[in-house]
Amino acid sequence: MLITGIKSRPVYDELTPMPSGLRHVAAGQGSGGGPLVRLLGVMTPEQRAVTTVLYSVESFTGRNHLAEIEGFRTAGLQVFPSNVEAVEGLDALLAGTTMGTRLYLAGSEGFIGTSMQVATRYGLNRDEVLREHAGSFVRRVWCAHCSHYTENVSRRVFECPGCGRHLVVRDHYSGRLAAFQGVKADGEVPGEMPDDEELDT
Amino acid sequence: MTTAHTTAGTAAGTAAGAAAGFTPDESFTPEGEYRFENSREAVRRMPFPFPDDDYMYSMNLEPHVPAGDGALRAAFDIDEHYVSECRHRAQMLEELPGVHYPALPHMLEAQWDLLELIFESYARDFPEHFTLTKNGNEWRWENRLLGLDDTFTFGDPSTLPMDPMEYATRQAQGEFVVLEEKDGTLVIGAGMTTQRADYSLQFNLGMSFFEFHGPVPKLHEMGILDRALKFLLRMKPGHPVRRVNWSLTVHPRLETSVETLPDWAPDRAKVTPENAGDLVHLRIELQPLHRLPRSNAIVFPVRTYLVSLAELVEHAPDWAKRMHRALASLDPELVDYKGFHRYHGAAVAWLAQHDDGAPLDTGYPWNGGIQPGAV
Repeated sequence: MLITGIKSRPVYDELTPMPSGLRHVAAGQGSGGGPLVRLLGVMTPEQRAVTTVLYSVESFTGRNHLAEIEGFRTAGLQVFPSNVEAVEGLDALLAGTTMGTRLYLAGSEGFIGTSMQVATRYGLNRDEVLREHAGSFVRRVWCAHCSHYTENVSRRVFECPGCGRHLVVRDHYSGRLAAFQGVKADGEVPGEMPDDEELDT
Repeated sequence: MTTAHTTAGTAAGTAAGAAAGFTPDESFTPEGEYRFENSREAVRRMPFPFPDDDYMYSMNLEPHVPAGDGALRAAFDIDEHYVSECRHRAQMLEELPGVHYPALPHMLEAQWDLLELIFESYARDFPEHFTLTKNGNEWRWENRLLGLDDTFTFGDPSTLPMDPMEYATRQAQGEFVVLEEKDGTLVIGAGMTTQRADYSLQFNLGMSFFEFHGPVPKLHEMGILDRALKFLLRMKPGHPVRRVNWSLTVHPRLETSVETLPDWAPDRAKVTPENAGDLVHLRIELQPLHRLPRSNAIVFPVRTYLVSLAELVEHAPDWAKRMHRALASLDPELVDYKGFHRYHGAAVAWLAQHDDGAPLDTGYPWNGGIQPGAV
């Protein structure tokens, strides 16, 4: 079973203003505040005036860009204490949007992935969304055996909180589940573990 | 209008034993102690996947036209294990609901397409077992192997006891993955996969062609994926194509999904050069792809044949020799990807005892290539 070198991972973009947008939604988390600040900085004042910003201050690396974001004059800023609440906020916001909305996402892979699940429900196409990865490479992992989702996984091998099995994280990514795949690490011989490593890519 | 009242799953196995030539009481699970064997005829009709002594991936797509009187005669082949496999499917669906049969909501048209394709093919190719009678959209479906006689309205899901795809594929041998064409690629929209070889369909659902092939080594570098996708996107209804693939499985276990890996992966450590003949099974996959007419989706069926190394030696000695050579020279990356690095050596050693090194014909058996050999 291939663990690394799997080509199903998303390829990320760099956030730049999409000129065709009539309205913009920019959502970020933790280090993702950096790309948001850069995006807002290169937008025209007219674009900023129709841009709603959502920012979660939850961060794995401890970076907080809230003060810089507050320096821009936008259509509105919503601040959330957690990524889960920010994604819920995005859901509520997109429920009221119209054609011509452009979405910008920045942050961890888990945040971008769960936000994309919401965007897909509202029929936003890939060419209406830009995604920029920022900050740590912690992953959201789906356990193939008990279907538990674990956020912020930073090691190749970890213990699943759902079923207690040691899982190895494959570089195999499901956009629908917004998660990497975790599979029993010592499946063939109990206790015989694959090499552990930091997930830094 | 009458509606279907029997369901494929519950009826399987009841009326079935009556049909001659079928072995309805087999088991593909450890709980059933793997009660499974192939007759000589069943082995010698298989789509043996090694045309040369050296094996490497290739697209190996060819028009899916009838060839020979074995597994390539019908559009969708059935064999002596049909009844047992249908019962196994019902059992797997009951044990793990939602894991083996996911379908995205917009795939309903493709589901009807698939039902029509399977039922028309079975009725045409095996009229002694299946009859499809159409009166406009009012269809009557008789499956004598499973003891079913159902009527339903084509296109009206309320006249079936379950999704059209689930209804049809509970009565079919092999797996069926339906791919929808979107943004210049093929995306997994639905699947009936109770016989998966080491992947998760609920995880792969919604993935594009390049994404779900991500875990397969070498394909990208060899340019095979690009060419395969271009070829598939040009497919037209009525012009199916096929390829064969293969792997190895310990025990005659059909269901080897990622989800249940903790149950079956330990078996890989139990193989020795002494027991490899009985434990190690060649897993042949016949994949006849069809473009579906209404939905424009493509169905990717995987019809799996299991045969132990010992059965190959006993019933198809030349195929056993070929398999020895192909396995012995197999690229280590493929050994690892296919998941048998732990017992590769044992399987090769066991087969070596039965290979005298005689030259063998090249080419697939159904195209006049290597035949099973004299017994």
